[in-house]
Amino acid sequence: VEKSSELPLDAKSEFVDFQWKLGLAASCDSCRSLKYPYVAVMLKVADHSGQVKTKSFEMTVPQFQNFDRQFKEIAAAIEAM
Amino acid sequence: MAAGELEGGKPLNGLLNALAQDTFHGHPGITEELLRSQLYPEVPPEEFRPFLAKMRGILKSIASADMDFNQLEAFLTAQTKKQGGITSDQAAVISKFWKSHKTKIRESLMNQSRWNSGLRGLSWRVDGKSQSRHSAQIHTPVAIIELELGKYGQMGCLRGSQEAKP
Repeated sequence: VEKSSELPLDAKSEFVDFQWKLGLAASCDSCRSLKYPYVAVMLKVADHSGQVKTKSFEMTVPQFQNFDRQFKEIAAAIEAM
Repeated sequence: MAAGELEGGKPLNGLLNALAQDTFHGHPGITEELLRSQLYPEVPPEEFRPFLAKMRGILKSIASADMDFNQLEAFLTAQTKKQGGITSDQAAVISKFWKSHKTKIRESLMNQSRWNSGLRGLSWRVDGKSQSRHSAQIHTPVAIIELELGKYGQMGCLRGSQEAKP
């Protein structure tokens, strides 16, 4: 039976979905005036058995800008092939 | 009271540095006795304790409000006019300290407020598949991305792949 997709041998999971939100942490117990913008990401990946897992994480704005730049580099590398 | 020994200058700057390390940057092992013996050895412990508490309180107030320089000057001026407040020399040292350490302290406060995992690193590779055992795909690029996630102070990895759509 031909598989419709298969994972590279060293990848644990396959990308399924990516959701994001842009938030602003206004205040917290140790800092009344926090004013901290962040990008929160919810990533869905499927393992070899097809089980879907979600991972969530946060990035500061500079981290997100680096994240964005890296994905543009990936896209450029794929285009060049 | 050895008030003269609690004046501003190098020992106060050192004290503020140590307080910042302890309060914001999570540096362990900074005790009251260590600070007193290293920076104010002539001051008895019963005088040093309230002085340390006062400086810690001032630093926390400034950091919590993320004071700009106008707010800082107004705040410190008010502290110099208070009963049992600070001297103008001490105010000058605190002001200089906040101006040079504000960014780093703010960054630590932001990190402390992050309860989700953070992105600690990202690496990637693009593979160009030509053929495999189960399929005869030719030239299907695949991007493999490794995300290092972790809570502030911890490490963890997530690795996934995404086939590029033609």
